[in-house]
Amino acid sequence: MVFSSLYFLFLYLPVVLLLYYITPLKWRNLLLLVANLIFYAWGEPVYILIMFVSIAIDYTHGMLVEANKRKGNDRGARLAVASSVVCNLALLFFFKYWDFIAGSLEAIGLTFMPKLGLSLPIGISFYTFQTMSYTIDVYRGDAKVQRNIINFGTFVTLFPQLIAGPIIKYKDLGDQIDYRKHSPEMFASGVQVFVVGLAKKVLLANNLGMLWDVYKALPTGELTVAGAWLGVLAFSLQLYFDFSGYSDMAVGLGRMLGFEFMRNFNYPYISKSITEFWRRWHISLGTWFREYMYIPLGGNRVSKPRLFFNLLIVWAATGIWHGASWNFLLWGLYFAALLILEKAFLGKILQKLPAVLCHIYTLFFVLVSWAIFAVEDFGQLGAYLKAMFGMAGGGLTNDNVWYYFSSYLPMLIIGGVAATPLAVKLWGKLPEKAVKLVLPVLLLAGLIFSTAYLVDATYNPFLYFRF
Amino acid sequence: MSKKYCIFITALFCAFIGVFLVANAVAPDRTFSEMENRNLEQLPTPSVKTLLSGEFMKDFETYTTDQFVARDSWIGLKSATERALGKQENNGVYFCDQNTLITRFDQPDSQKVTDNLNYVNNFVENVDIPVTFSLVPTQACIWADRLPEGAPNASQTDILTQAQAAVPGATWADLYTPLWEHKDEGIFYRTDHHWTSLGAYYCYTGLAQALGYEPVRLDSYTETIRSTEFYGTVFSSSGVRWVSPDTISTYVPDTGITVVSHTYDNKGNPVEEPRSLYVESFLNVKDKYSMFLGGNQSLGVVTTPNTDKPKLLIIRDSYTDSLVPFLTPHFSEIHLIDLRYYKLSIQEYIQQNDIDQALVLYSVPNFVTDSNLLWVAR
Repeated sequence: MVFSSLYFLFLYLPVVLLLYYITPLKWRNLLLLVANLIFYAWGEPVYILIMFVSIAIDYTHGMLVEANKRKGNDRGARLAVASSVVCNLALLFFFKYWDFIAGSLEAIGLTFMPKLGLSLPIGISFYTFQTMSYTIDVYRGDAKVQRNIINFGTFVTLFPQLIAGPIIKYKDLGDQIDYRKHSPEMFASGVQVFVVGLAKKVLLANNLGMLWDVYKALPTGELTVAGAWLGVLAFSLQLYFDFSGYSDMAVGLGRMLGFEFMRNFNYPYISKSITEFWRRWHISLGTWFREYMYIPLGGNRVSKPRLFFNLLIVWAATGIWHGASWNFLLWGLYFAALLILEKAFLGKILQKLPAVLCHIYTLFFVLVSWAIFAVEDFGQLGAYLKAMFGMAGGGLTNDNVWYYFSSYLPMLIIGGVAATPLAVKLWGKLPEKAVKLVLPVLLLAGLIFSTAYLVDATYNPFLYFRF
Repeated sequence: MSKKYCIFITALFCAFIGVFLVANAVAPDRTFSEMENRNLEQLPTPSVKTLLSGEFMKDFETYTTDQFVARDSWIGLKSATERALGKQENNGVYFCDQNTLITRFDQPDSQKVTDNLNYVNNFVENVDIPVTFSLVPTQACIWADRLPEGAPNASQTDILTQAQAAVPGATWADLYTPLWEHKDEGIFYRTDHHWTSLGAYYCYTGLAQALGYEPVRLDSYTETIRSTEFYGTVFSSSGVRWVSPDTISTYVPDTGITVVSHTYDNKGNPVEEPRSLYVESFLNVKDKYSMFLGGNQSLGVVTTPNTDKPKLLIIRDSYTDSLVPFLTPHFSEIHLIDLRYYKLSIQEYIQQNDIDQALVLYSVPNFVTDSNLLWVAR
């Protein structure tokens, strides 16, 4: 099930909220678990079994880690953690990367791995990472073991963040699973964040996505320089509003149910360096890799060559996490290279440059990265990049570019402004009286327009099937 | 913010999602959308099989979208918002000058075009009566000057040139020139993909030489206005609600002309259903263009009082329906075959019914997307 759909908004959500609040506190986690499973089974009626397997594996491993620790058997506890990590990665590897590796081997003439043609279970990259964090956190002593399997299942399947993040670490959520407060204040703030997210996804992302689709589908040779940049600009805004919209909806829904999730995006496009960009983009994934991979590898406190090597490993993993395809690996390595350059010397230079140049530098490399991210086929990717830099012979611009540019200019301006904290800053300056008056109007407008766009939904993609 | 205010915001949101939950549950489901001219999805019944395959969920999603309360108004709100945001198209329809809505014409699949032309060519080679072949260029081509500036628009004239060359055995009738010469007149509907009776008349003059008749002058007919409230298919798919309606007129009187539609009942027995050149009951529903010959039919036979004239077979799409009245003075019988429904041998049909000549006539957008032309060569 996806949030940006009529049956979620006007059937699932009101029913779940109603049942949730009429259910006595001690039964709420059980109710949530059932609701979560329905939510997931709606999109994956068969793969829900994997979810059960995953819950069972990590629940047992958590207990094992704790039992060994209690007995002072560090070796046993480490073994249990390792076993949990192996199990989770095996699940992920099997469903997500098997065919990719088989296909790549086939391309060089090795055929011992047959292609399986399995479809990717929705959200598997998100929930395997979350459950891995659980055993590690228990081992590190950052979280208490969860003895109640219903509570544990509720954590793994929690529907607001099940299929598109944020990736929540057990140590941040465990206490809330056991005990959380519900209040009108929290619910109301959840409503605001949710409606903002819904509008981002339905009104901005879907709209700008149609512009990207025009240029993505254009045959090589018809792509002009201006068109290629317009396309990638549209994609960059689509992906941001889509992804951050989903995260906002997750945070909002979480608050309606009494949970507080971490913020996943913090205006990434206002960054002044790639390093800063990655502190603001998909924060929950970045911190996951930092805590469970980068720091264990030694983090910053190592020699320069080792540091660069660590960055390379972590970013290769980050890249390939986004999808089982070579372009995602390239995309990760592209960022590794930029981050290494910034750590080596570029960062110091950037600090001395005027802010506007830093913004241009960052946006330029981020936009190029989105072309690598969005175009999976290397031949097409090469053609697209060539077109961006005027080497494809499609000319600088043409009438069609003008048509699309003028048609989408208001959307691009709205999107551009909405990608900065400007509106939030202005909102904060409004006197409370005005806020109280305007807020319900804006909320209703967001809901009404989003509903209209969903009823006439010719274009409403879910971008994270690859993740 | 005070607790009271937060309760208010909470209530507002819950009321919004709750109201539509109840409204959707209470409102009766519609089976057909007049506005969109299509059947709406009905509540699916789950079974183990459809639940496991996810088919039930997919159908249920379509069901909630199709049956959403006040669906037509939401669609209208969306298209109005799109226009306010500077968009010049919605759902593949351009908002054009002169109160006109025009469906986008994108570069067609060239393999499909070649295949369809081959089917026509096979047909021409396999029958021993003269065949005329032509394609009708539509609004996106003839009225291109009404499109938004720079709007992508694939060439229909390229398709016409390709089609003429691909079927050398048929007589090609040029319909581009007569339509282009009269492009400032109301030759197409502004809200529907079809041509008007006037446009059909100019096409009728364009077909005269190939089909071998002397066209009747337009001023010898009197125009009869049938409806001034016509909103066509393009209007529906665009979601646009701000253009004025079209007028449907006819010119040729239908005296002495009988129309019989041949179909099969659900047991497979042949059924003859009487129709007429103008079925006026359609003027009371949304789909008013179906007034011409009563809309879709597998096989229709139009018989005229002119028994000494030849018999014509038309392999057709719906553009032909408003052209037929003009052809009635020149033929004793006009047989109309729609390949979407008619799957029997055309060759045999020609022999059995003593057809004298055939016309293959499609609009360019229909021809390049049609998936049933393979039946013409059978």
